[in-house]
Amino acid sequence: CILHCFLFLLVFGRAIHAIARISDEFWFDPVEKGLALRSVNSSRSAYAYVFFSSMFFQHYCWTAVSQPCQKEKQLSLPCKLIIKSVLPVFRCANVLERNVEKCSIYTNINDHHITFQLLCKHGVVKTYNLTFQECDPLQAVFAKHMCPNILKVHSRLLADIMIHFPTSQEEVTLSVTPMKVCFKSYTEEDTDFSKTMLTEIQLNPEEFDYFQVGVDSEVTFCLKELRGLLALSEATSVPVSIHFDVSGKPIAFSIEDMVLEASFILATLCDIEKEPTSQQPPCFSQRQESNAAAVASKKPQWNGNVPNTEPAKPASHLAKQEVKNIPRDTKREMPGIEGAALTKAEDHTGKDFKTAKASLPHAVSYFYKYCIFQFHSLFFGAVSCMEKDAISHTFHSLATASDTEEDFGSSPV
Amino acid sequence: MRFRAKIVDLACLNHFSRVINTIAKLAKTCTLCLTDSKLYFILSDKVVNGGVSMWCELCQGNFFDEFQMEGVAAEHNEIYLELVPENLSRALKTAQSAKAVKIKLTNKHCPCVRVAVELPSLSSSSRIVTHDIPVGVIPRRLWNDFREPSVPDFDVSIYLPVLKTMKSVVERMKNLSNSIVIEANLSGEMNLKIETDLVSVTTHFKDLGNPPWALEDGCQSSAQGRDLESMAEARIDIKKLQQLLAGQQVNPTKALCNIVSKRIVHFILLHEDVSLQYFIPALA
Repeated sequence: CILHCFLFLLVFGRAIHAIARISDEFWFDPVEKGLALRSVNSSRSAYAYVFFSSMFFQHYCWTAVSQPCQKEKQLSLPCKLIIKSVLPVFRCANVLERNVEKCSIYTNINDHHITFQLLCKHGVVKTYNLTFQECDPLQAVFAKHMCPNILKVHSRLLADIMIHFPTSQEEVTLSVTPMKVCFKSYTEEDTDFSKTMLTEIQLNPEEFDYFQVGVDSEVTFCLKELRGLLALSEATSVPVSIHFDVSGKPIAFSIEDMVLEASFILATLCDIEKEPTSQQPPCFSQRQESNAAAVASKKPQWNGNVPNTEPAKPASHLAKQEVKNIPRDTKREMPGIEGAALTKAEDHTGKDFKTAKASLPHAVSYFYKYCIFQFHSLFFGAVSCMEKDAISHTFHSLATASDTEEDFGSSPV
Repeated sequence: MRFRAKIVDLACLNHFSRVINTIAKLAKTCTLCLTDSKLYFILSDKVVNGGVSMWCELCQGNFFDEFQMEGVAAEHNEIYLELVPENLSRALKTAQSAKAVKIKLTNKHCPCVRVAVELPSLSSSSRIVTHDIPVGVIPRRLWNDFREPSVPDFDVSIYLPVLKTMKSVVERMKNLSNSIVIEANLSGEMNLKIETDLVSVTTHFKDLGNPPWALEDGCQSSAQGRDLESMAEARIDIKKLQQLLAGQQVNPTKALCNIVSKRIVHFILLHEDVSLQYFIPALA
């Protein structure tokens, strides 16, 4: 397809920067209605989606190049770009708006290029030609409307809250009851309290534009992945909606207005000890034995440490979650088959997460639950041992680098 | 051992934050001593600090609207805590518009100084931000390490030039050399000198004035009977001097230094309600 559009630089630039906090690459997916950008991090624990409707652009022209295809509807051709190549184009988005008069984006699938062209003041024209990779589409399905807890708040409030946490703070716990809301630094059983400064912010539900708490919960998520969305929300002045459930289920931060829609879906930490062990179907007993030690010590356990000789094990834990969920809410969009395909994927993402984040000292003791990411792709078909290698190969090609944050590790004097 | 304090006045809060910011720039870890009338931030001259030591004294009444403390025992009504001042600085940084700040000593998982900031909010009840800063309690047997240092038997005592000027001079010199020589005489003249293989730079200050030190017992100090023109000098680590000057956020009411030739330079910076003494030993 050929895409040709001009745009609001500040917002677009902030969207790119927000996505950059998730991963080094993103999916660039122009469709008839607008332009979608998607990204997922190497550990599959964070997913970002920004959609600019065609009305966002001064001029948006999408032409579907006719190509033979089996299905009736046109397949848009998504492509993948390395985000570091795009970031320089939109560096200092604030400065950009002052100097740049127009920005055009052209794609030409034939020579695999996307061209960003900035027409600046004084007749300066900057052209960036970026190569893209064709790839499978990426899409996560998350049933936001099924979440029992929904908060809606202006980005200013969230920014005012997050400012109290140091920039090096990775995880934050959000704790809600119908009476109060609290954001606090994440701590676990073996946190060295004598060395860590802990921060906690208590808010009254009245401060939120919309406050619905169906179930008391305490969810822990990665703060740095969120900061980009907050900056984007501030640029657009659109309030942020937070949809979440209990610990272990993903949390979604989203903004939505007439021309723009963005969702950042983050995995939340799962506490193993809270799961009832009495309801275990017999086939999972194997898993229970090997993890007895972990459960006894009441630590969130990292799945990747489980040896890969019995691939059913990590899968079984997540499947256990599914089994638990289904009786609770049969309307969830998660039939068993997809659940199984999903868990097969998780087995290998577990490995990737471990290798990708091995450098972070505390990551190994975490168990991140990836829930509800459903990948529409030719590769994820039936679950079979034969395909295991194919799948891991695919994952290696997608997970090129771990999400290294430039300000990670910076510490005060 | 108990400690609770509260600051309600914004000006006092800002002033206190500035003091903490200054301390945070001078020491990574230091000792906080609490008595019922004063607070002291102390850095004792251990090798790990590069031999520098610091003594900063605040009158609690000038900052806190409420202040209650109870030491270890009645006859030892003091509390000595080891803490990272940067943490305290960070906790206060976002409290600039606070309605009230409460500080107290707690022991939940470990001894902590809990800073609770009450911030205004759009709703009827305030937003409360709590920071738990871990501290180490220093046992009584070690309290002797933290006694107020005595004023050394100096050769020359002189008022410092305008700190901003001195700071910019020292910052430029820092790029050229690791050590700097401070020399001064009793005629109000001070020179800052650096010397390397390639270049030597000297900045001269004059008409600085020498503070009159009242001597007890009428005893002679090294400064008495000294030739007015003769310079006392000491070579010190330039980074330490730069840290001291860069950390000053407000111009002190009085700033002076006492030089013990080739031994130590003793800086005294006095504000209305805070006094800061900083000792930088001479390099071998």
